[in-house]
This record gives sequence, structure tokens and C-alpha cells, in this order.
Amino acid sequence: MSSLGNLIRNENMKIYRRPRTWLMVGFLILALGLMSGLMKWDESRGSGGDWQTNLTQQNVHFQKQLQDNKNLDTDDRKFFSDRIKINEYYLENGIDPTKLSLWDFVNNSAMLIMLITILTVIVAADMIAAEFTWGTIKLLLVGPASRTKILLGKYVSTMGFALLLLAISFAAAFGAGAVLQGIDGLSLPHLTVGADGIVHEGSMIVDSLQKYGYAVISLFMYVTFAFMISAAFRSSSMAIAFSLLFMLIGNVLTGIFSSYAWVKYLLFANVDLTQYLPGHMPVRPEMTLGFSIMMLAIYYAVFQLISWFLFTRRDVAA
Amino acid sequence: MKDAVLQLRNVTKTIGRRTIVSDLSFDIPAGEVFGFLGPNGAGKTTTIRMIVGLISMTKGEVLVKGVSVRKQFEQAMTHIGAIVENPEMYKFLTGYQNLVHYARRHSGVTKQRINDVVKLLGLQNRIHEKVKRYSLGMRQRLGVAQAILHKPSVLILDEPTNGLDPAGIRELRDYLRKLTKEEGIAVVVSSHLLSEMELMCDRVAIIQGGKLIDVRSLQEAKNSKQTKIIVEVDDSQSAYQLLSEAFNGQGVSLSGGMIEVMGDRSFIPDMTRLLVKAGLEVYGIHASQRSLEDQFLEMTGGEMVV
Ligand SMILES: Nc1ncnc2c1ncn2[C@@H]1O[C@H](COP(=O)(O)OP(=O)(O)OP(=O)(O)O)[C@@H](O)[C@H]1O
Ligand SMILES: [Mg+2]
Repeated sequence: MSSLGNLIRNENMKIYRRPRTWLMVGFLILALGLMSGLMKWDESRGSGGDWQTNLTQQNVHFQKQLQDNKNLDTDDRKFFSDRIKINEYYLENGIDPTKLSLWDFVNNSAMLIMLITILTVIVAADMIAAEFTWGTIKLLLVGPASRTKILLGKYVSTMGFALLLLAISFAAAFGAGAVLQGIDGLSLPHLTVGADGIVHEGSMIVDSLQKYGYAVISLFMYVTFAFMISAAFRSSSMAIAFSLLFMLIGNVLTGIFSSYAWVKYLLFANVDLTQYLPGHMPVRPEMTLGFSIMMLAIYYAVFQLISWFLFTRRDVAA
Repeated sequence: MKDAVLQLRNVTKTIGRRTIVSDLSFDIPAGEVFGFLGPNGAGKTTTIRMIVGLISMTKGEVLVKGVSVRKQFEQAMTHIGAIVENPEMYKFLTGYQNLVHYARRHSGVTKQRINDVVKLLGLQNRIHEKVKRYSLGMRQRLGVAQAILHKPSVLILDEPTNGLDPAGIRELRDYLRKLTKEEGIAVVVSSHLLSEMELMCDRVAIIQGGKLIDVRSLQEAKNSKQTKIIVEVDDSQSAYQLLSEAFNGQGVSLSGGMIEVMGDRSFIPDMTRLLVKAGLEVYGIHASQRSLEDQFLEMTGGEMVV
């Protein structure tokens, strides 16, 4: 009987021996390089005046808002007063926040997780459908491995590919930051204002990983969806096209229909958990973090169940 | 049969309202090459797909070494090697990488074993090339290699000679013989090339329209009493009368100046003596082996596509 480990090795071999995979990796690195270059160029254009004057002026502006603007709710007030405290902390400790640090590159690379999601969705959509397109499904299934095990092997190696892209993106952004700005920014603190109203120094790497973490949730959901589509369609081009279309159109539709209450039950309304962070608004006012986590769990279970059902129960007559 | 390694019990497949394979039952013992013969659309591939679990059975059971494919799929499949229709391979991998892929699924297939199989199928010169550069016959060989890597007890080959050149077919035939005789493997081959089946198989099952029409041993067929003896003489009319009297009119016919006698080969010496004594000029007497093809066509009514 086949061991799961060997099945995963087989799937990995099929992913990484395809030239397409390395084109994707190259594309990701190129995008990262481009983004880092743009950031550097943007910084070098320089902002007028010195940073200390700018921060002081900004604080005066925030102070005025707090005093004069009667429309501010408690959240907005906290936002402004926190900004003022953090700016004061910068001034006292002589930290220039507008100067690019290595961490800015890493944090901005989290935006490229959308690209990583698209690339992984392509791989996932191809995972099962391609075996049908190639006709190799027959030999794949005629062996001492249950279909459930084969499916699991495929899922694990797809997620492994996503993990590899994430690691490459993090490392490449870190590398670009180190090359362009030096590694002295490494020890910069991440500033937050705690519930006690005092500025705390946190770890930058924890903050960056958090940013990655939020983005990875949507990656996880879309890739699992694409995997299900791959089990449903038996042609890889159809599976890829459908998965990408679903992702792009879904987000747009959620925006358009956000005035309707039923929107909150859509996957797209729930994948971005940063909407519950302070200073953000959820898609629908009645939505809570707990609700979104529950919806995501339900969608995830349904996607997995359908994939499993479609892959293990259907006749293979290709 | 007590040592049957592959047993089919009332295997049935119904799709929609159509029954594609109905109530197929037979046993295949170790060491036998079993042919699966039937016109296009008879249900050969469908049956093979059910044996290897690619499609579900509507009814019935397949046992491999007594293990049910339906209930204990993984265990049953450790004993099976198969190619179903054209063996498609991963084109972006080399032949060798493809074999590694299939070897990993089984426990205990060593590098040495892979190399041995590669040599056995004569692929050693091209094995490290990408499969997309292989010819059809080379892919077919790679398919057979993949199927025997783990030394299965039952080898199932759907149209294995498809795409092979005459030398390749001969090699495959010799190799299958060797596998059955030396390693006691049971082989199931499907084909619509009857002449090929005659050379390769010990027994054939003839199916048509999804039903088993007959299972017969080819040894039996060769020793069949029903040989057609054709007699060529100068005066066919008198010879016909002579032979009709001798056989009481049984199985003697005259057609196109030739006399045809249905019977055993052992009749020939007596017949010759009779004709010579009567002063007839005998140009030839020969026994024509009724080929499996004739029998097959007769049985299936000569109607090839169902
Ligand atoms: N998925 C399916 N749905 C409906 N009918 C099918 C399906 N697959 C096969 N059939 C039908 O079942 C019959 C048997 O097909 P099968 O492929 O088993 O024939 P075969 O004996 O292998 O023929 P050939 O010699 O042409 O390979 C055919 O009439 C075919 O049309
Ligand atoms: Mg067929």
C-alpha cells in the first residue's frame, strides 16, 4: 500500500518538474523586485522639509481635528490620539518613520500575496483536472492507494507550493530591503498604543507575519475552492478559467451588493479579516469576527467535502 | 478452479437504462494467459475498468487472490498491474521519472528492479529522455514496464499490442509467456486481433453485447474433431458420389469443383486410398484448420459492431 509521504513526493515531482512552475516563481520574484525598486524611487523623490517639522505639523493638525470636529465617534478619536502619541514617541527617540526600513519592504510584499494566491489557484485548478486532460488519471488511480489518499497527497502538495511562494516572497522582500536600505533597520520597533494608553514597542517581524497571516486566510480559501473546481471539471483550462473568474467577479459583486444583508453569507465578504481591525469597517455593520470565522469554517468544510465526493465517487471513463 | 488468482462474479455495469456488461463470471488461474475477445463496443474495456476499480460495478464482485476490489481496494491493487487503453504518461517527465513515480506507490520496488524492467523492455537507450519525444510503441513499452514493476500476480493489458511493431508484438508475446510460466503470473489481454490472440492465449472468453458467449481453451480448438478436409480431383462428380457413400452422405459437400469433408484428420489416409483405387487423379487433399476467427465470426454472427 502506498504511503502518504510517497504520494506527496510524486505530486511534488509533478509540480516542480514542470517548467511552468519555475516561470511562476520567476514572475513572483520579478514582481517583488519591481515593487522594491518603485518604493526606493518613491523615497528618493524626497518629501519637502525635514521629518521632525512634518511630524510636529501633523500632530497640530490631529489636535485641531480632535478639538473642532464634533462628528468624530470614539473609534476615530482613539485613532487620532494614538497617532499623536506615536508621533511624539518618534520625535523623542529620534526615529524617522518616513525613512524606508527593511520592514517596509517586507510589509509591502504582503500585498503581493494576491499574486501568490492567483498563482497557487492556477496550480490547484490544474491538480486533478490536468490528470484527466493528460489521460494519466487511469494509471494514477490504478494502484494500491485509495482515492482519498491520492486526493490528500494532492492537496498537501498544493498547499506546500503556496507555502514555498510565501517563503520566497518573504525572503526576497527581506533581501531587497537589506540590499537597498541595509540591515540596520532590523531592530526598529513596531509601535502600538495599548489599552492603557501607553506606547508599546513590539517586534516588527511579528507584525509582518501578522500581515502575512491575514492575507494567507484568503489564499487558503480560494485555493481550496480552486481544488474543488479541479475535481469537478475534467479539463484543466476550464478549471483554471473558472476558478480565476470566480475570484475576480466575486469580489466585485460583493462590493456592488454590499447594501443587501445576504451579502454577509458570501465567501468574499468574509475572507478579509482585517476588516475587524481597529480603524476598519466590516462589509456589513452587523458582521462580527466570530461570524466570519464560522462562515469560513463552513465554506472550507463544504469545499473539502465536495472535492472528496467528486473525486472518490465518480466513474473514471476518460 | 481452486487456485484462481482473478475471479469475476456476476459483474454487471448499467449506465442509465443500458446494460453495458451483464453478469460476467469467470476464473483465471495462475500461470494462464487469458484472452478477452469481442467486437468493438462489446464491453471489454468497461470490464477491465471495473476489475481495476476505475468505474464502479452495478452488481457483482471481483476478487484478486481472494481479496475484493470493491471492499479492500488498496490491498487488492497490490497484486494488480494494468494498462487501460493507451497508457498515457507524464510527457514533461522522462521515462525513468515516470517509472519512479509508479514505483513509489508500491513498497519494495528497488532502483535495481526499475533498471531490470527497463532492460527487459529494451528501453535502456532512451529512458532518460522526456516522454513527449517517445513514439507510440515506446510509450506502450513504458506502460507495460510500469505495470510489471511491482511483480503483480495479475497483469491486465487492454489492447497491449496497439502501436507495437511486429518485432515488438513478438517480444511482448514471448515475454508474457515467460512471465506466466516462470513467475506464475496470470495475464488478461484484450484484443480484437484474433490471430494475435491465437498465438498468445491459453483460453479466450468471447463476449458480445456485454454478455459472455463462450470461454474456450485454444488447445481444444486446435484438436477439434471438426476439421475441414478439402479434396481436389479431376472428376469431382464421381469423387463426390464415392465419398458420400463412404460417409453415408454425412458432412460431404461439393462446391466449386472441390469436395469438402467435415471430419477428423485421421480420415485422410483412407480417403486417399479410396479415391486412388477408383482410378481418380488426385491433385491434392488438405486439412484446413478452422481458425478461431471463423469460429468467432460464426459465434457472434459475423456482425462486428454492436
Ligand atoms: N460512460 C459511458 N456511458 C455510456 N455508454 C458507455 C460508456 N462507456 C462505454 N459505453 C458503451 O459501452 C459499450 C462497451 O464499451 P467498451 O469501451 O467497453 O467496448 P470495448 O469492448 O472495449 O470496445 P473496443 O474494441 O472498441 O475497445 C459501448 O457500446 C460503449 O458505447
Ligand atoms: Mg476497448
